[in-house]
Amino acid sequence: MVFDLELIRSTLRLATPIAFAGLATMLTIQAGIVNIAVEGMMLVGAFVAVVGSYYTGSAIIGVILSMLGSMTLAFIFALFSLKWKAHIIIMGIAINIFANYLTVYLLRAIFGVAGAFSSPDLKGLEMIKLPVIDNVPILGSLVSGYSILVYICWILVLLSHIFLYKTKLGIHLRAVGENPAAAEVMGIRCNEMRFFAVMASGALAGLGGSYLSLGHLTMFTEGMSAGRGFMGLAATIFGMFTPIGTFLGSILFGLFDSISWRLQGMQIMPVQFLQMLPYAIIVIILMTISFREKWVRAMTAKANRAALEKAEE
Amino acid sequence: MTPRETILDHKNKRQNNSAIAVCMKNITKVFPRVIANDHVNLTVNKGEILALVGENGAGKTTLMNILYGLYLPDEGSIEIKGEEVRIDSPDKAIRLGMGMVHQHFKMVPTFTVTENITLGNEPAWGKGIFVDKKKARAQVIALSEQYGLKIDPDQRVRDIPVGLQQRVEILKTLYRKAEVLILDEPTAILTPQETRELFNVIRGLVRDGKTVIFITHKLKEVMEISDQVVVMRRGRVVYTSRTQETTPQKLANMMVGREVLLQLKKTPAKRGEVVLAVKNLTVLDNRGLPAVRRISFEVRKGMVLGIAGVEGNGQTELVEAITGLRQVESGNIVLEGREIGMFNPRRRRELGMAHIPEDRMTTGLNMEANLKDNAIVNSYYKSPISKLNILNFKVIEKFTSRLVKEFDIRTPNLNVVANTLSGGNLQKLVLARELAGKPKILVASQPTRGLDIGSIEFVHQRIIDARDSGTAVLLISAELEEILSLSDQIVVMYEGRIVGILEAEEADEETVGLMMAGIKPDKKMKDTSFKEKPF
Repeated sequence: MVFDLELIRSTLRLATPIAFAGLATMLTIQAGIVNIAVEGMMLVGAFVAVVGSYYTGSAIIGVILSMLGSMTLAFIFALFSLKWKAHIIIMGIAINIFANYLTVYLLRAIFGVAGAFSSPDLKGLEMIKLPVIDNVPILGSLVSGYSILVYICWILVLLSHIFLYKTKLGIHLRAVGENPAAAEVMGIRCNEMRFFAVMASGALAGLGGSYLSLGHLTMFTEGMSAGRGFMGLAATIFGMFTPIGTFLGSILFGLFDSISWRLQGMQIMPVQFLQMLPYAIIVIILMTISFREKWVRAMTAKANRAALEKAEE
Repeated sequence: MTPRETILDHKNKRQNNSAIAVCMKNITKVFPRVIANDHVNLTVNKGEILALVGENGAGKTTLMNILYGLYLPDEGSIEIKGEEVRIDSPDKAIRLGMGMVHQHFKMVPTFTVTENITLGNEPAWGKGIFVDKKKARAQVIALSEQYGLKIDPDQRVRDIPVGLQQRVEILKTLYRKAEVLILDEPTAILTPQETRELFNVIRGLVRDGKTVIFITHKLKEVMEISDQVVVMRRGRVVYTSRTQETTPQKLANMMVGREVLLQLKKTPAKRGEVVLAVKNLTVLDNRGLPAVRRISFEVRKGMVLGIAGVEGNGQTELVEAITGLRQVESGNIVLEGREIGMFNPRRRRELGMAHIPEDRMTTGLNMEANLKDNAIVNSYYKSPISKLNILNFKVIEKFTSRLVKEFDIRTPNLNVVANTLSGGNLQKLVLARELAGKPKILVASQPTRGLDIGSIEFVHQRIIDARDSGTAVLLISAELEEILSLSDQIVVMYEGRIVGILEAEEADEETVGLMMAGIKPDKKMKDTSFKEKPF
């Protein structure tokens, strides 16, 4: 049986890091910055979370430190791309490469291991049983018993929606993203808004990263972000740059991810193909989205032509 | 009393109780290699309309940007209502009562009218965190009623026509309680009727005690709307006068610094055989909607056919279809009896078509390449410029220097990159290149957009010279004056269709202006439109 309650639960779990990455990219894109460095920020976040948790013995402190770690990287990104006007995509690539080798290096320097680090002393995040709801049949087993970061993620989706569409700051942020010149003449400081967006994306990427290393698993492996930053970007595009849409996009990707895991357990076809599945689906979805516009155009053209011919006859 | 007299009377009254709203003293601003403002003095009386005129690069915009806090002057001082102030940001300028409507609107297209007007200064609740959308909407409605500027507060800005967008821009400044409104070339994108409406709005604002600085280079408008006129040239104020005491000719001469011909010298056209015929042409825009709808016209040898219309009524798509940059949906384009609708741009050029694109910065020239490369982009593969695919630099050098000389292109040398040249010189380069092959048909799209009077005069003369030497000219322009002074026959487009085709003699500003707004005048006029409907 492929579809059952546990599949939904694993979907929600797997969607969480993608949703964090998605919110991070969505916020910066709303401010007019395509921040592909989220991938690297997540990786650093995952690593710092492990370091923090291992040495303090508290997973929550690990999460907080991981946010600070990712924000440090975000600050470097902002410094170069906003203040010194480096090309944003090139800067993003640079940050990603840097993050990758930085974590590999620090893994050896701090823990003296290569490839992966895990230890019984490493505290992961606890599962939280929601009061009252936990006892409701079905609903309880659906929404209760996740790590705290899953709930934080859900709350942040709603908060970003309120922020972007209801608050002054959010509206200013969107104005900067869409037409910086218009925002500037109205006295909005564009670069400050962009800086804010990049730092917020750093914090969100940190949360996503710490979920990977302390929530989902309790270990760090090299390159463990495994493209989730980019999946977040895909979810943002899928969600038409809105918080709710981005979240739905990450749920969808999480679903394919968990189906892939499920099928791998059933041993019906080579594992490599199944591991490829979520990524292949993303490629197909993104292609569909980019072709949709052309397709819509062709269809309207056809409809218009027909209407025109009818009218002129 | 006639309306005109009322206005004059009104002007006189205003003149008497004039207090000074803005006084700029000895303003100097130096950019690398140019002195944009050289000890400029400008005094604007409260409750008056001041027209600031001058060619491009004369320093008007720099001066206004200083007043609006976008630049800091290197020297000089600014007084507002008699008090010396330092304006170091638009924010500060706004607080001092300045409001600016930029030539290119600065709005967020997906935001609503209300959101755009209140942007940056939204009413809020919850300790200033959340936007109070109801209150914002009410404020905008109240403001629009107070000044009689009707708008729909809930529409998205991208969905409303430019005339209304401009209204939103004006409301934006009024929302910020602007006392002095700076309007940067506000009429460039309007029909004559919309312009008249704008002028009524401006007069209304002045009646309410506002002060207006009006930047333009349309002298007719200066005469019509302003109380005081200031002419700038090469960073200096060269002439100041009460509008009643000056003439357009005087202003033109002051702007250019020499005698200019406001009226083009032109002999009647000697029309020959049909060169370009467009038959039932339909073209789609980027969204797949028909932008050009079943249009037909003919251009003959030795004549200028002018296509008039407010921008965005299908002219761009029409030009792109004719020159091969956009697919034809249906209909025919015939060059000297030969269907060319399927040909690529190079093939069309080889058959004798030349094209002055509407945007010289993106389509007309490569701004990063030097003059020589730009001069040969349409002939680099042909002998004698290249042989066996190898460029002959001596020939290129000679060819380019000939163009530069013939068209009086002011450049230090031929190796400078295009973007170091001024707009007028750039357009001369495009013109030189396009006319070099002695084309059979010249498609000139907005050929003088953004140029100063001197360059406009030059470009116009060259187009007429080309016509007289037997080239058929298809002129597309949003400038009604240009259409009227150059064309032998005028096609007016509205929403992708032809409203009518007029001979030059029967066209005047009023008739064409109405047609540009889609209204076919009742006046009996010769129906020269081609078989749009079966007879």
